[in-house]
Amino acid sequence: MTIDPKRWYPVAASDDLPQDHVYQTRLDGRPVAIWRAASGDVNVWDDRCPHRGVRFSVGYVIGDELRCQYHAWRFASGSGSCTHIPAQPDAKPAAAIRAQTWPVRERGGLVWTGITPEGEPAVPIDGAVLRAIPVNRAIEDVEPALKAIPDAAFILQPVDTERCVIRGLAAPERTYAIDAMLERLRLTLETV
Amino acid sequence: MILHNFELSAECYAVRLLAAMLDITLELRRIDVFPGREHEEPVFLALNPLGTVPVLETDGASLYEWQAMLALLAARSAHQDLWWPTDEPRLIEWLGFAHRLAASIGPARAHDGMGMEADIDSCRRDAHRLLRVLERHLWFAECDGNHWLLAGAHPTAADIAVFVHVILSEEGGIERMDYPAIRRWTDRVREIDGFIPMSGVFSPLKAVEM
Repeated sequence: MTIDPKRWYPVAASDDLPQDHVYQTRLDGRPVAIWRAASGDVNVWDDRCPHRGVRFSVGYVIGDELRCQYHAWRFASGSGSCTHIPAQPDAKPAAAIRAQTWPVRERGGLVWTGITPEGEPAVPIDGAVLRAIPVNRAIEDVEPALKAIPDAAFILQPVDTERCVIRGLAAPERTYAIDAMLERLRLTLETV
Repeated sequence: MILHNFELSAECYAVRLLAAMLDITLELRRIDVFPGREHEEPVFLALNPLGTVPVLETDGASLYEWQAMLALLAARSAHQDLWWPTDEPRLIEWLGFAHRLAASIGPARAHDGMGMEADIDSCRRDAHRLLRVLERHLWFAECDGNHWLLAGAHPTAADIAVFVHVILSEEGGIERMDYPAIRRWTDRVREIDGFIPMSGVFSPLKAVEM
């Protein structure tokens, strides 16, 4: 599938981003690294260092910067600009050297991004964030099946053509029961 | 204690890692499993008739089973009760789980990295089935405020036994993107005092920041 460039898509839960952690996912086949700076701001970046292409998601968070695992170049939260190149400690990195940043919002306990999203993310209901359930099936196959699960609202993250992640919200006391239902649904969908 | 060690084996890494965390010094003897196949030679088979690595020699006796070596290290440490809680049957459950991981991720790594024969699709499918179980366990453990495989404030040998296989999964073409709670837990294991890396495993930030 091709995603709607104007839409916001949930790609992580707020709780997926503890301090000093880099979260890894894909949106419509595009790998992204997601991390929370010490300031509290969330960043969604291409999961690729502009220097040598190593995944940012194996790097380290240092305060308000992300440090690439390979050559320890550092990139600033927000702008994605390179701030430090260890081999040239006294030089100011060129402005053109920057991580590819994505639009980001944190709403309803979820982290949202998109290509060129318009407006604000639509959080369907207030509730606790369910455990994300990846399914090796296309979004079109998964969406109708979710109608059978009551007391929850779901939003799907397109991962690849044939894969998606079920994200959802529900009353806190229902999360374990719904998780078990989603597990069964995943097995059913994947064995069809 | 002498550890007959192959640097790239996850099971050997488990023994080196727990020893480092417990501040126990091992004398390492290199066994060239790949490409040398030294573990198939008579001199090694005299040491371990099973022909597997690691082997731990201690007080004139030898252990062949890597999880028995973890038990021995815990027993020789000052904190056996923390690392090997004998009143917790789930310790054995997770050690069994680690064996299942070894039987799926292990052959997948050997297939991709050393050209060994394996039913690679089946290995990867089995590994993902196990990782889904682990992910669910760790996600709900976090909800209850638990950071480790067993409930309690301290990591155990179970964390080490499972970690060494999980952290090398990508070498067998088994990505961990679908398992955010597992990825957070592997970060926590890397932060345990005494942690040592191996080829394919990154050090924690505190070890690389000068």
